[in-house]
Amino acid sequence: MSQTFENSYAPPLKGSPAIARKRLNKAKLWRRIKPFVYLAPAIILLSVWMYKPLITTFYLAFHKWNMVPGTEKKFVGFENFDKLFHNPAFMDSIGNTVFYTVGLLPFSILIPLVLAVVTNNMNGKMKNFYRGIFFIPMILAPVSVSAIWRWLFHPSNGVVNHIMLKLNWIDQPIAFFSDANFAKWIILLITGWKMIGFSVIMFSAALTSISREYYEAAAIDGASSMRQFVNVTVPLMSPMIMFMLMMSILFSSQWTFAYIDILTTGGPYGTSTNIYYEMYRYAFSNLNAGFSSAAALVFFFLFGAIALLMNAASRKLSFYDN
Amino acid sequence: MNQRSPVLAFLRHGALALMCIIAIIPLYWMVISSLKNDSEIFTDSFFPNAPTFSNYTYAFSQMPIVRMIFNSFAISIMMTFLQLATSLLAAYALVRWRFRGKGLIFSVLSLTWLIPFQAIMIPNYVLVNDLGLNDSMLGIVLPFCVSTFAILSLYQSFQAFPSVLIEAACIDGMNDWDILMRLIIPNIKSGIASLGIISFINAWNEYLWPMLITKKMEHSPIQIGLKLFVNSDTNMWGSLMSATTVSCLPILLIYLLLRRHIVDSFIRFGIK
Repeated sequence: MSQTFENSYAPPLKGSPAIARKRLNKAKLWRRIKPFVYLAPAIILLSVWMYKPLITTFYLAFHKWNMVPGTEKKFVGFENFDKLFHNPAFMDSIGNTVFYTVGLLPFSILIPLVLAVVTNNMNGKMKNFYRGIFFIPMILAPVSVSAIWRWLFHPSNGVVNHIMLKLNWIDQPIAFFSDANFAKWIILLITGWKMIGFSVIMFSAALTSISREYYEAAAIDGASSMRQFVNVTVPLMSPMIMFMLMMSILFSSQWTFAYIDILTTGGPYGTSTNIYYEMYRYAFSNLNAGFSSAAALVFFFLFGAIALLMNAASRKLSFYDN
Repeated sequence: MNQRSPVLAFLRHGALALMCIIAIIPLYWMVISSLKNDSEIFTDSFFPNAPTFSNYTYAFSQMPIVRMIFNSFAISIMMTFLQLATSLLAAYALVRWRFRGKGLIFSVLSLTWLIPFQAIMIPNYVLVNDLGLNDSMLGIVLPFCVSTFAILSLYQSFQAFPSVLIEAACIDGMNDWDILMRLIIPNIKSGIASLGIISFINAWNEYLWPMLITKKMEHSPIQIGLKLFVNSDTNMWGSLMSATTVSCLPILLIYLLLRRHIVDSFIRFGIK
């Protein structure tokens, strides 16, 4: 900084002042654009693969287009949105999305919180052993997981049906993936099973940062371990709980996508589908790009609003240990 | 405190052991099913009487598994490398300099969290098609060669790097590029490695986009090939489970070898 300051106020030297000034401007210009040169690959790629497509989705939402290259995109105004909200199947998929989002909360918040607290008091080796095992489902690919669960819950030959038959819990094997009473519960169960380990790890990390002194003080005051959990652990963990809550709500519909596609393709009769799967089907099965884009747009704004609200709420509700 | 009561401790370990069983029994069932012979596959014995590898030979003869595993590795390594490269440069710029528009860049980066892939899949699909990259590995990699999650995580790691050292290097006449390559990167290697592992696992497990792009088994990553096998409705459960075992193996091996590292990096960076 100081160098440019001096130079710009120094009297022009004899000789070749024009060149000196040019070089100076060049240096100044370079300093100004340097950060953007380093940022360029990331920004250009983001624009090409995220923001420009998002704008195109905006555009497509108001058009009718069958995704065939070279065909005309017909402007239809708000027709796509209008049809969308008068489509009972889409309304059902919203209901299912809420079901998955709420149903996942025990798996992403409640059970992991308890597991993290219980393992936290153990010695290092046991703790790492348990947490290491809980974490395994998390790193497996959705397709592999679907294949395994499909086999476990196979209608005629699956081990779950075998065992339940043997124990006389059921008279006939259940067709889990094609029975409307079970399909979405199975999807929820798989997503939750995969989710637990990750949440345990996140909560454990937050727990280690809580000072032991609080618990000692609470114990001296005669607080039971249940009260310690409610009055010490939960408030001090609230930033992490809010964070996981937000992740769970924003992403649960995306996490269930692969299982829906592989295990039930949304069926039977659309009872296990969710909004993201419907968007995918509008586009790639019905070849109705406008409809899919309109749905995408609605939920882009809806989830955006939820994220903003939750962000504000977490700032208010979170309790920080200063 | 009642934590010392043996009954409670017993109950606690019992409950945890149950959770562990729930977590890994599907995997156990996958492995033993893959080793059972045709007469045993439909029974629920928890241990194969006569373990056989015939399911594996059948699966390998039915699908180009080696080729698909190779594709998966190629795609995941390319994605990881490109994500690390673009985010190292971007994070460096954000930490190193103050400049106009920085706030805007941060909002541009964080807003991408709210864009679900389903909202941009149609235009991206059209673009990849127009580029003639349909059914190719490059087509799978391209939309994922930048990750805002990686940029923001590296930004955090970079911030922890003492700025005094950077200033000293500046005075010594090191240029900006060398400061990044020879001073910062060697010193936060482990953080970069952790991020690389997460990127690799995410890339390996990616589903929707590779499914849209690939058409032939020879060009698809193992996950998509496996999906085609699952949906083909054969009753070859033994070989399906052996193919599934093979598809999980690389990730499980990485996990076994680098468990501490992986768990730590997930804590540090979270998931996307």
